[in-house]
Amino acid sequence: MSFLQALLNGILVGGFYGFMILGFSIIWGVMGIINLAHGEYVMMGAYFAWAMFRQFGIDPLISAVLVFPVMFVVGYVLQWLVINRVVERPHLISLLLSFGISISIANIYKLIYTADYRSVTVSYAGSFQLAGLTFPTVKTIIFFAGLLLMAALHLFLQRTRLGKSIRAAAQNKEAAKIVGIDINRVYAITAGICVGLTAMAGAMIAPIQPIFPFMGPLFTVRAFAITALGGLGRIPGALLGGLLLGIVETLLTIYVPGTGAKVGTAVSFLILVLVLVTRPQGLLKGLRPVEEGA
Amino acid sequence: MSRFTPPSASENPVRRYDIWLWVILVLLAALYPFTQPTTARLLIAIQMFMLITLASNWNLIGGMTGYVDFGHLTFFGIGAYTVGILMTRSGEVIFAPQLSFWQAWPFSGLTAMLFALTLGAATLRLKGPYFSIAMLATLLAMREIVRLFTPLTGGGGGLDLPPELNRIQEYYIALGLMALSVGLMWWIRNSEFGLSLLAIREDEIGAEMRGINTTLHKTTAFALSAFLTGLVGGFWAWQNTYIDPDVVFFEPRNLEMIMAAVLGGLGTVWGPPLGAAVLYWLREFFWNRFLFAHLLGLGLMLIFVVLFLPGGLVGLLQKGRVTSVLDLWRLQPAHEEET
Amino acid sequence: MSTPILEGRKLTKTYGGVLALYRVNLSLYAGEILGLIGPNGSGKTTLFNALSRVVPVDEGHIFFRGQDVTDMRPYQIARMGLARTFQVIRVYRKMTVLENMLISRPWRDVRPWDLLKPSRHDIHRRAWELLEFFQIAHLAHMPAGALSGGQRRLLELAMASMPDPDVFLLDEAMSGINPTLVEQIKERIMEMREQHGKTFLLVEHNIQFIADLCDRVVVLHQGQVLAEGTPAEIMDNDDVIEAYLGV
Repeated sequence: MSFLQALLNGILVGGFYGFMILGFSIIWGVMGIINLAHGEYVMMGAYFAWAMFRQFGIDPLISAVLVFPVMFVVGYVLQWLVINRVVERPHLISLLLSFGISISIANIYKLIYTADYRSVTVSYAGSFQLAGLTFPTVKTIIFFAGLLLMAALHLFLQRTRLGKSIRAAAQNKEAAKIVGIDINRVYAITAGICVGLTAMAGAMIAPIQPIFPFMGPLFTVRAFAITALGGLGRIPGALLGGLLLGIVETLLTIYVPGTGAKVGTAVSFLILVLVLVTRPQGLLKGLRPVEEGA
Repeated sequence: MSRFTPPSASENPVRRYDIWLWVILVLLAALYPFTQPTTARLLIAIQMFMLITLASNWNLIGGMTGYVDFGHLTFFGIGAYTVGILMTRSGEVIFAPQLSFWQAWPFSGLTAMLFALTLGAATLRLKGPYFSIAMLATLLAMREIVRLFTPLTGGGGGLDLPPELNRIQEYYIALGLMALSVGLMWWIRNSEFGLSLLAIREDEIGAEMRGINTTLHKTTAFALSAFLTGLVGGFWAWQNTYIDPDVVFFEPRNLEMIMAAVLGGLGTVWGPPLGAAVLYWLREFFWNRFLFAHLLGLGLMLIFVVLFLPGGLVGLLQKGRVTSVLDLWRLQPAHEEET
Repeated sequence: MSTPILEGRKLTKTYGGVLALYRVNLSLYAGEILGLIGPNGSGKTTLFNALSRVVPVDEGHIFFRGQDVTDMRPYQIARMGLARTFQVIRVYRKMTVLENMLISRPWRDVRPWDLLKPSRHDIHRRAWELLEFFQIAHLAHMPAGALSGGQRRLLELAMASMPDPDVFLLDEAMSGINPTLVEQIKERIMEMREQHGKTFLLVEHNIQFIADLCDRVVVLHQGQVLAEGTPAEIMDNDDVIEAYLGV
């Protein structure tokens, strides 16, 4: 495989990663909650697409649209009933809580769907040639869909009233309260949007990813690594971090013999540690320092 | 100077003498084998002692120092494999004489500690959540690494250890380990070292500004915790007579260790033993009928405890404020209750 | 003039493109009380954080007792005899007031073995003496989180005094403390300077406090030193009046 081809594959995967971690990054940026259940939302989206495909033959890309309202409600309710209770409390607490949520979700899915690997095979699973490079069709579609959704989210945050309240809440909670923003509702809506987007990402990769109940941590670890690379709650940063991780992962798989599909977690882990040890502020200085204990 | 209180009176008297209660409990437990219990009962006791030990060790880094370690089972696994490899693989892969359990056992703690020192040099520089996720990734990676190094670890096929079944002896080892771990926690909690760990948990920059070498202190806590966890792992491998990646890096064990500490009370001396005992009781008499949902039960329980019992059982006992289930709901907003 | 005990040379610090400090020189001489004033956002706290090594500087050097401490860790500087308080109070809210004091003991000469023992009697004694002085001894067994803002300030002052440092950096330490006690603390500061040769760097908005206490005043404005001199000189300086008093 030529270097350019490898680079292309990395970029296609990376663009998707950038979109996949947006929910994680925004929830952290806005509420200071580290959502260890992030990967589980990806998993839920993927299962949704799989079930829709099997039952009704619905294409995963359509499922990706359908899954958003469903998971919006899940995210909203979970935030409203559970997570809002710990927003003000130390990181330790929200970490443990979301760890509990992550394990519960994964095991509920195991009970329902068993631990077997599932897959979705779409008719357009092949690839096409362009300018001497091979474009895997599904990954290309996902890449552009991801970019499109990122742009949409950016516009939503910048232009709409709701988006502005979310940004206000992220910057100064107290001030947001004073100007009459119902902070709990804003948090719940933010969580709904983030969980919905994350599940969309999960539904979109259903055709190219084995689906099983314990796939979540692979994505959560990636989310951490990308956040370390690209900073918190910033869409361009997420894209850049995603691209970096995608390219490094792909190049390593190709050029270092013996690394298989499991390379993702290891690479993410190494990047995470290397970046944060050498640059505690994150690669682009976009990381909000984690306040000790509070 | 009129209101100067002498140091002895300034100490909480309960905290000074509670260790004797522990000593009495341990001595009573030491008498248990004389009542001719069945092997099954001894095994239950051994498993419970191990869970208490693990929870107490986890509490040292996760509860007292505030570095929530989601991958602490790594050290358990390293301990287990150290004993397994030293007892079965000499001559073939490693050029060392075949060791008996007693010769191999100390190495399980030492390798775990060395690994913790190496790993801690990088991960302990990560703050809060980054540390947690890095340790979780370490655990996931370690399971794969063990699977890959087949010549040394037996890969997925595992290792068979020479069986040397003497449950009474095992009972006393487990009891001794537990007594040591919990006793050590008590000692640390009452020492300046323990105070400094609590300070690091609450405000690391502040602790640093007041002259505490936070890196040294938290690395020490991490290494000590890993050492004891490694010892438990080594002992576990020996008494189980068989290890493979799935039974050693058994996810429910990782979660139970954390859960017991959280349920009992993070950062308290008596929380993890209490939490582990309650959790173990629940598992033996209730969840065993719903084994398929064991992890789900633990996950839901973690959510419940974090939301409604932030101080854990110890916090509950100290406050003595809960008289009905309804009170649990009301307890939630009280921020100062957090440990 | 003798060499300063604490000195910052050409300290520069930016936060995300915003210049917080630009080539600031500051010298603190042993036994002196130096006031640092300036409008909000002029870089006072950043300068404090830089001097105590809580944040790294982008450029410049810090010298403490003639030694370059620019790359040292905060705890090392603390052990060399520098103590500070924070504008946003940093006490350990979940620990008792007494435990807060015990944690602030001098960590300099602790041998590893001593760490495994409870705090020594002399540490307890010193903690109680300081709690007495700052009039919070009756709160000793309360969790620090239950204290009022002013009481927490006092606790933080008491904690800073625990290791008996030579140099104190006090960041708005007097806000929220009642006037009578402020007078007493003022006397205590004078006393510590006269009798023990302690050195103080104060950030205060209370101009009267600065004028009464300080030998010298440095005015920061937009990350740069605007003026430097005796309190009287500073009060008459037109630039200062314009920048700071907003007239």
